[in-house]
Amino acid sequence: MTLYGYAGKILRLDMTNRKAIAIDTEPYRRWGGGHGMGSALFWDFCKNKTITDGRDPANVCCVVTSPLNGTIVPSAGGRCEVVGVGVGQYPISWYTRTNFGGRFSTMLKYAGWDAIVIEGKADRPVWVDIRNDQVYFHNAQDIWGKDTWTAQHDIRKLTGTKKGTKTKWQDLDALPQPENVQRSEEELGRTTQKPAILCIGTAGETQACHACLIHDAGNGAGQGGFGAVWGSKNLKAISVLGTGAIEVHDPKTLIQARVVTKEKYVSSWQEPDFQAWTRIGRLPNPIIQVAPPTSERRPQSCQGCINGCRSRYKVGYGNESACQETSWYGPYVRRVAKSRQEDTEINLKAADLVQQYGLNSFVFQTGLHWLEHLHEEGVLGPGRKIPSDLPWEKLGTLDFAEKIIHALSTRTDIGADLADGWIQAALKWGREEDLHTGALQFSYWGVPEHGYDPRAELEWGYGSIMGDRDMNLHCFNYIFTNVSAAFAFGKPLRISAEELVNLHARKMAPYAKDRPEVLDFSDANMYSEAVAQLVRWQQHYCRFYKNSALFCDLKWPDFFNTNVPDLDGATASADAGEQVFWNAVTGDNLSFEDGIEIGRQIWNLDNAIWTLQGRHRDIVHFSPYIYKTKFNKGELFPFYMWTTRDEQGEWHYTDLMGRSLEKDKFDEWKTIFYQLEGWDTKTGWPTRSTLEKMDMAFVADELQGAGRLGEEKS
Amino acid sequence: MNEDKTEPASSINRRQFIIASGALGAAVLLPGGLLAIPNSIPDSKGFLLIDLKKCQGCGTCMMSCALAHSGEASYSLARIQIQQDSFTNWPDDVSMAVCHQCQDAPCVAVCPVRPVKANKPNPSEGNVRMIDPALCIGCKLCLVRCPFTPGRIQWNVEEQHSQKCDLCIDTPYLAEKGGPGGMQTCVRVCPVEAISFTTEMPDQSDEDSYTVNLRGRAWAKLGMTTK
Repeated sequence: MTLYGYAGKILRLDMTNRKAIAIDTEPYRRWGGGHGMGSALFWDFCKNKTITDGRDPANVCCVVTSPLNGTIVPSAGGRCEVVGVGVGQYPISWYTRTNFGGRFSTMLKYAGWDAIVIEGKADRPVWVDIRNDQVYFHNAQDIWGKDTWTAQHDIRKLTGTKKGTKTKWQDLDALPQPENVQRSEEELGRTTQKPAILCIGTAGETQACHACLIHDAGNGAGQGGFGAVWGSKNLKAISVLGTGAIEVHDPKTLIQARVVTKEKYVSSWQEPDFQAWTRIGRLPNPIIQVAPPTSERRPQSCQGCINGCRSRYKVGYGNESACQETSWYGPYVRRVAKSRQEDTEINLKAADLVQQYGLNSFVFQTGLHWLEHLHEEGVLGPGRKIPSDLPWEKLGTLDFAEKIIHALSTRTDIGADLADGWIQAALKWGREEDLHTGALQFSYWGVPEHGYDPRAELEWGYGSIMGDRDMNLHCFNYIFTNVSAAFAFGKPLRISAEELVNLHARKMAPYAKDRPEVLDFSDANMYSEAVAQLVRWQQHYCRFYKNSALFCDLKWPDFFNTNVPDLDGATASADAGEQVFWNAVTGDNLSFEDGIEIGRQIWNLDNAIWTLQGRHRDIVHFSPYIYKTKFNKGELFPFYMWTTRDEQGEWHYTDLMGRSLEKDKFDEWKTIFYQLEGWDTKTGWPTRSTLEKMDMAFVADELQGAGRLGEEKS
Repeated sequence: MNEDKTEPASSINRRQFIIASGALGAAVLLPGGLLAIPNSIPDSKGFLLIDLKKCQGCGTCMMSCALAHSGEASYSLARIQIQQDSFTNWPDDVSMAVCHQCQDAPCVAVCPVRPVKANKPNPSEGNVRMIDPALCIGCKLCLVRCPFTPGRIQWNVEEQHSQKCDLCIDTPYLAEKGGPGGMQTCVRVCPVEAISFTTEMPDQSDEDSYTVNLRGRAWAKLGMTTK
């Protein structure tokens, strides 16, 4: 039977024995792809699910595509999911996830693989070379120690890839082969493309907890410390070149829905609406938080994207970087830059540095404020309690940026302690008080607050702490950004608060269908069952549609859309909804709600893994400052606008600054959440009845064997 | 790691037989003038134009092309090829390769299949140069003869024949009519409209005449140069 949308095979890499093994995709089909498939593969191939440090050789890291990858599904064709046990979190490094864009997942599928499962540990550094069904392990001694960009250049040379962007077709079999490999003369395919390479830099080689995986210039799989995981396995890079094709069930409908998306939901670049409120329908502009360095540039995107969110520039820096990596250094650069141009140049060159070192810049988001605070307090510096030779007087310059990135990536200076976790370092340095005062704002699981404070943006905070990391899911976050920006810059409020919540609620089946109160973030509603349903919906939606089908987080869901007369966004729509694309590619007959249900099953599988790792509801808590201090300073605006209801039930946009969370009430809210999920409210563990209803008795059996199956409600 | 491959029932098929016994031999042995048919090819009534400075490198045109023609998403089956280098600066980071529907069409001229060429203008569809996969013998002469880099003819490995851009005339997986009088999939799906269709033949003496500026003043509103 044709597995439409799938390549049909999964590649297991036994790093210890340098062996490649092909297994069928079909047994994992029920999980969709991406995260769901990755969790199922981890479940099957990780022999010790109690590990809590991703650098343990028992860890299994899965790099997983979706049926939609390598197709034209708008802003879903080019994402790729990575799962496994992470590094450097607190108190436990959970089984976690990350995600990156570009060409890798497309090329992997065209090579014939739906996923890569990385097991064991090589005795020496290696890189893996995939060309269609051929898989080679190469010694990496010549590229170990090189930055991510240089390593990719070197691998291109080693694979015989021609320079330039106007090269001839290459026969795959004509490319250089490793010694002792005899290939038939049968042609396997031709391509004009360069291999897609995913690799680690210095940070990964030293197994620093902030280490990323980097692909091309600016596609980073940032959270989770998977660069450290690869470093621990002595895996420098995976290169893939594919010349095959993916069979699509209904190409006509797929092309038609793509055209509908472009022509109905996306803002026309010829008549740009810069004030549009939409997600899928944005203009092709880089999401960088500095002024573009030049107009001599193009928009640049992942494969299949409908509007690129990055650029490549003539100036030669900042290529493919976007969002946080272009802004982490901004507050400090502003102090020293003498012009807007210099401000842009330093910020974008700092972005280039984190890409090259393979370092997750997000730790600097709040972490650099803390380090500066320690320096100003006289605690950190040359000859001080926390010795550091970093040139703090140069904070804001490119020189300082490179030195601190180097320190964290090489485990030198303060990087020696920070490389194993920032909370761990704070405790080692005797700075526990900073977790209580908020001097160190690492709010959930030892990772930095994202800029969307849990005390205001409830679904972000609750979703993160009920999950495994800073969730980084922007499903509802556009309420804050659209409304706050409108207030800040005097822009029009395109949609009233009441209309906005109703537009959301009509698409939020099954848990919040026509229940706009789930988006009431007023003080009176912040620990409610309604907000618990919102968090559930988001987790289940994302576990399937975003993390498994791999719809881009920045473009989906599209609840509201001012490019459409009735403001009804593309999400769940009959002409260009997520399920329309899924069904066109796979041949399934999935309803939008069916996808949410698959997401629920994946979420339950994840919770089972966390349970085996040691999760208990007692440790599901924010960093103390979230309960002890008020949220008074925003990252982007001096206020935090969101939808709320007043006592008369009227909807408003309201500033949510100035409040904290109450620990006891949050604890009660968790009970509501566990009840809704059908989990044991005493522990937060999954129960057999809930799992069996989802055809997941095998999960219940393993939990029971480990003595960690939740008790049924009496 | 090799997957088992199923061998064809017969070791020599019709296509291989023709290549071995006649057509390819003729191509090699006979004077070129006997194969070429200069001045007998009517002009195409449709052409694709591209803007190298505008393309966002999403590959949607390639994947859509393969889908519309073959029902499969693929780079290698696409009749338009976008190459990009993540580590090169604008504007040299992207190149776009479309078939020129050449006036002299060397790929048509070189096609050795007789009495009816496999690669020829389609008079009922604006004289678009098209390869009939049923007639193609797989000699690959058209691949070699195309003067551009990368070559605008693709080798379909799965079906063992040449293929080229037909402006979406033969698109069984397209709901709308394609071709010069209909839609061209790559033009329609391109998010930034970096590809356009024209009925006016670009200057055949200038390879760059197919590269045009499709940005206009609206592009400048997005903060990108129109030069």
